Amino acid sequence: MAEKHTHIIELKGIIKEYHPQKSFFSKGENKIVALNNINLGIKKGEIFGLVGQSGSGKTTMGRLLVKLEEPTKGTILLNKRPVTHLAGKALNNYRSRVQMIFQDPYQSLNPHLSISETILEPLKVHKIGTIVQRREKVIHTLETVGLLPGKDYYNRYPHQLSGGQRQRVAIARAIVLEPEFVVADEPTSMLDATIAIQLFKLLTRIRKEFNMTFLFITHNLAAAKYLCDRIAVIHEGNIVEVDSTNEIIGNPQHPYTKKLIQVQPGFHFNHLS
Amino acid sequence: MHKNHYLKRFLKGWKIFIKNPLGKAGLIILFVFMLMALASFLVPLLGPMYDPMTGTDPNIKVSTGPSFSHWIGTDNVGRDLFTQLLEGAKVAFIVGLSSAFISIVIGTTIGMISGYAGGFIDAFLMRMADIIMVMPSLVILLILASIFGQFNIWIIVFIIAIMRWPAVSRIIRSQTLSLKNRPFIEASKVAGASNFRIIFRHIMPNVLPLAFLYMTFRVTSAILVEAALSFLGFGDPSQVSWGMMLQWVWKTGHMFQAPYWLMPPGICISLLTLAFYLLGRAMDEVLDPRLRKEGQA
Repeated sequence: MAEKHTHIIELKGIIKEYHPQKSFFSKGENKIVALNNINLGIKKGEIFGLVGQSGSGKTTMGRLLVKLEEPTKGTILLNKRPVTHLAGKALNNYRSRVQMIFQDPYQSLNPHLSISETILEPLKVHKIGTIVQRREKVIHTLETVGLLPGKDYYNRYPHQLSGGQRQRVAIARAIVLEPEFVVADEPTSMLDATIAIQLFKLLTRIRKEFNMTFLFITHNLAAAKYLCDRIAVIHEGNIVEVDSTNEIIGNPQHPYTKKLIQVQPGFHFNHLS
Repeated sequence: MHKNHYLKRFLKGWKIFIKNPLGKAGLIILFVFMLMALASFLVPLLGPMYDPMTGTDPNIKVSTGPSFSHWIGTDNVGRDLFTQLLEGAKVAFIVGLSSAFISIVIGTTIGMISGYAGGFIDAFLMRMADIIMVMPSLVILLILASIFGQFNIWIIVFIIAIMRWPAVSRIIRSQTLSLKNRPFIEASKVAGASNFRIIFRHIMPNVLPLAFLYMTFRVTSAILVEAALSFLGFGDPSQVSWGMMLQWVWKTGHMFQAPYWLMPPGICISLLTLAFYLLGRAMDEVLDPRLRKEGQA
């Protein structure tokens, strides 16, 4: 494949198993396979959709990619270099290049840190810039994510913001380091549709502005259609289909994908009568 | 900007706190004892006769009851009981607050580390806590005192603190466990924050209110242990305290002859521990909304 060297992230034979109740007497024979032999490449600069129902392993995949968990087997490559089981400086470096936007904006911001402290944290941790530069950067990032004017939000606390505004702050925290790759784990599932559309537009703009690559995890095929260049459909830990968005929606091959498209609520009210 | 945030948090809690009759009562009692403790600093101005430790009234050779010059009386060598009581209030505050503070600092740190680290570190620290928790602190103190002789008041403070951190660390640990998997902790991990940073920057502000709540209960137990120790004759002999006063009234055989000597320190110990307990109960209500009555903010 000629396009292979443009892959920013590659997963090779990723298997993730969980062993419930590894207690003294049972060795946890009944393991749960969250991801079963995943092979996937995400191209630089694209918004890649990962669509699946709850429990399909899509969030697990996101957590593996930001190294909140390690795969049981398999390798993850970032720019063709293996990044599984990193530690120390290499892990720190990885953390500055791969970021995550979490699902619930009410849970993902520390209630006791102001907006500026939250967004400053990645800069402080990676020792980027002077105090003045950091301040500038935070205000600039706040304005990039549409919290205008940035100074007004600088000293506020999460409880003073709405859900949509909080999610913008979470996005600001994720992009302040200008990472190459961002995992967005259902960033709009807790927000209403109009806010969701605004955030999609924001993500598209950020992608253009910083040339970032996104993995967009969702259960909502419509959202994936709106936002993504390519889509992978995941079902019970297996990727059942990967293709361009138009192909997946217009010409689904796998029965599960077909079912998924069918159950997608649209405006086909005639089905009901 | 942080100050503002923490001030707002405090004022919000204060509003709920002050509506609680228990909290109000506790605060009033505490205020009276605070005045007594502060007044003990003015005692030297009255002259050497009123020194709670060394000052004796040359005209008095036996314990006497309340009079104009000695408001609640004197002990058997003519020392003024009222100034002793004031000095005792000061000592109770010092012992209670400082040993509670030390045990809270130790307990919170160990609890956060234990809960956050998990695994072997958690098991090790919690078993250590278990070992200390089942030790009867008064008995340990008595044994130590009988081996090493009379202790300085600060050593007593420190030993009480060392004996009393495990309960705090268990509470803080369980709180940390519930915080540890919250997305904002994971977000900060993804941002590259060190464990140290996560513990002290993200977990600590969230467990601190609980730590302060437990501090009030620790104060109560520290005051009681110190009083018991002094009463049994293992206190700091160079330091007047309420327990010490009780020890002297017992040792000199005035237990049933001089109620004006026996009662005040006993009542003070009970009231001060009660005040801290009430304070804790009211703070509990601030921290746990489920305990609040309908209609309270």
